[in-house]
Amino acid sequence: MKESFTFVGKQIRRSTILALALGGIVTLGVGSSRAVAADDTINIGVVMPTTGSESKAGGYQKEGIELAIKQINDAGGIMIKSKGKKLKINEVFYDDSSDSKKSASLTERAMSSDNVVAVLGGYSTALGTAESVMADRYKTPWITTGAGATAIFGKGYQYAFGTLSPVALIGTTTGEFLGSLVDQGKLKKGLKVAIVVENTDHGVDYVQGFTEWTNKHAGYFQVVLNEKFELGATDFSGVLQKVKNSHADIFLSDAHLPDYITMHRQYLQNGLHHQMVSYGARGPENAARQALGAGTDYIFSGIWWSNKLPYPQAKKFATDYKAFTGHDVDSWYSAPAYDGMRILAQAIEAAGSLDKNAIRDALKKAQLKDSVLPGQVLKFGANGQTEYPFVITQNKPDNKVDIVFPKDAATGDPVAPAPGK
Amino acid sequence: MDAVEYLDLLLKALLLAGVYAAMAVGMTVIYGVMKIVNLAHAGFLMLGAYFAMELFQRFHVDPILGAVLALPVFFLFGMAVHWLLVRWLPKSDTPTLASLLLMFGFLLVLQNVAYLVWGNEDQSILTPLTLSSVQIGQISIPKVNLVVFAAAVICMIVLQIVFHRSWFGRSMRALIQNPYAAKIVGVDDERTARLTFGLGTAFAGFAGGLLGMLFSFSPDFGRPFLLRSFVIIVLGGLESVSGVALGAIMLAILETFGINIPLPVYWHGWSFHYLPPSYQQVIPFALLVVVLLILPKGLASLFNRKWKAA
Repeated sequence: MKESFTFVGKQIRRSTILALALGGIVTLGVGSSRAVAADDTINIGVVMPTTGSESKAGGYQKEGIELAIKQINDAGGIMIKSKGKKLKINEVFYDDSSDSKKSASLTERAMSSDNVVAVLGGYSTALGTAESVMADRYKTPWITTGAGATAIFGKGYQYAFGTLSPVALIGTTTGEFLGSLVDQGKLKKGLKVAIVVENTDHGVDYVQGFTEWTNKHAGYFQVVLNEKFELGATDFSGVLQKVKNSHADIFLSDAHLPDYITMHRQYLQNGLHHQMVSYGARGPENAARQALGAGTDYIFSGIWWSNKLPYPQAKKFATDYKAFTGHDVDSWYSAPAYDGMRILAQAIEAAGSLDKNAIRDALKKAQLKDSVLPGQVLKFGANGQTEYPFVITQNKPDNKVDIVFPKDAATGDPVAPAPGK
Repeated sequence: MDAVEYLDLLLKALLLAGVYAAMAVGMTVIYGVMKIVNLAHAGFLMLGAYFAMELFQRFHVDPILGAVLALPVFFLFGMAVHWLLVRWLPKSDTPTLASLLLMFGFLLVLQNVAYLVWGNEDQSILTPLTLSSVQIGQISIPKVNLVVFAAAVICMIVLQIVFHRSWFGRSMRALIQNPYAAKIVGVDDERTARLTFGLGTAFAGFAGGLLGMLFSFSPDFGRPFLLRSFVIIVLGGLESVSGVALGAIMLAILETFGINIPLPVYWHGWSFHYLPPSYQQVIPFALLVVVLLILPKGLASLFNRKWKAA
């Protein structure tokens, strides 16, 4: 009896050791690049998802930040008046695995243990919301480069900043764009709109922005369906049936990339067609166009940045990005991250020291006048969030994308209504 | 909604049930014989999708054939995993903490290896079938879902035949029913467990290949399916292949219809309200709680009771 008990004990120990060893490998694999405190560097925390469901966008944002760091370091670093010399930036990176709890705890770790002067992070809204509480707790400036929900900035935080314009503005800009199509006679007045958005602050803000616009412009559109779905859903047939039954003319959604691909695949398989289709800030991503081919043609999206923007600094950013990463800047994600790092560097220099309060005060006043973002100037509002205009892009056949709104940035005419099947 | 729309939804629910059954069956056979809740199942599903994608992109192998080819490859892979890791777990009639930890750790390893190999890009398989559908009157049925459903049904039938007509199947059933009695009558439990783990992994790889035709995927792919597989095998009775089919149909119907049928609500008088689509994912878990409370041995136990009474 004793012998068999010992045998089972050995088996348990061996399997437990195996499990722990596997866990150890994973921990090493996921890894992080922690700070080695040094007097001649400025530690800046970067918390992004490079694994998990948000890894694609998080990876792009990390690349944007790292490009800015490389350019700043190549130019000698940031001039710190109190030290009388330029200091290079040392990035302290953590992968939050797209897990909001991990995101918050890693931000806390960076702020409390890694001697960072500021943290950049928070893609997406859910992860940014989790991280945002740490900034004021540790009195460390935190800039989210990937969370645009207004809820984060409505809490009176003093150390939280954001380089994404409010999501509600996508809804408003969508209304303005569709309204302009009505004014041009491309769409009829009074069209029915079905809205299906993700059940997050992002989705709620989008609907709020669009409905505010329609309320102010009575008669343009009539919202006949307004539903929410859960992030990461695998089946949309039920909600798409509701869209079908609503007999809407325009289909508006607000979704993250995997949900956009899955929902639009089922949309097409179910033979649905609307005069105009949008998935909020999603639309021109390569992954979606590869997954759905011509099925993504004529989808329009309200985005924070496009590589079609006509500014010289935006063109230069796209060229530098390709040289740095080896791939094109095919989505908006990296630009707000790139400018987030640049405005932080400007604020650190203006503060003249590595004092976090001084950097926070400098961030409040900072203006990045050669911003690559729409409007070309990046600055933060009183609540810490920036507010620059969105651009509307539309997918065209043969993998082309045009900016179609506003007119002064347009690279092509909007196609409306979208051609039928 | 009219009758045609209900029929449309019913068809879509049945097609979805085929997908659900294909992804849950591998987990069921492993649990049935070895009492291991295979959390690495999600990793095998993910690898199956990448396997079909690689064959499609590099050698232009049709993804359905790719999913079929995954069967022998993942069978061998499963046997290797069993030999390397699983056989060291303590034998038990109930799931152990060690087995949960081991399989969860292995899932994380598989995911991170996939990140190293394929990166974090969302991948997908686009074939002429992907966006085409069969139109029957007002009802539109996606062709790819039909193919996946047919493949899943064939897979379940083959598994039932293996279960009932082969020596290996009889050994598996004997171990499921009573492991001690099975060993007394000469069933080699080690060998059967190894083959079973290989079979369960093979079906996971096969299902992953099929799912890759329906969804975009990344190394994180599989987690939502893992939870649904869990619900299905609990609904189906944890050890029954036909129960899996039943559980899959029930889950798919409830998920699809749950948000499209008005429910009576009493609040200052009776009125009808639709369940918001954002609550769709609550349905499987609510179902799990109800079934565990009322029918802990799953839906199949209802029929077993009737058959025994007859």
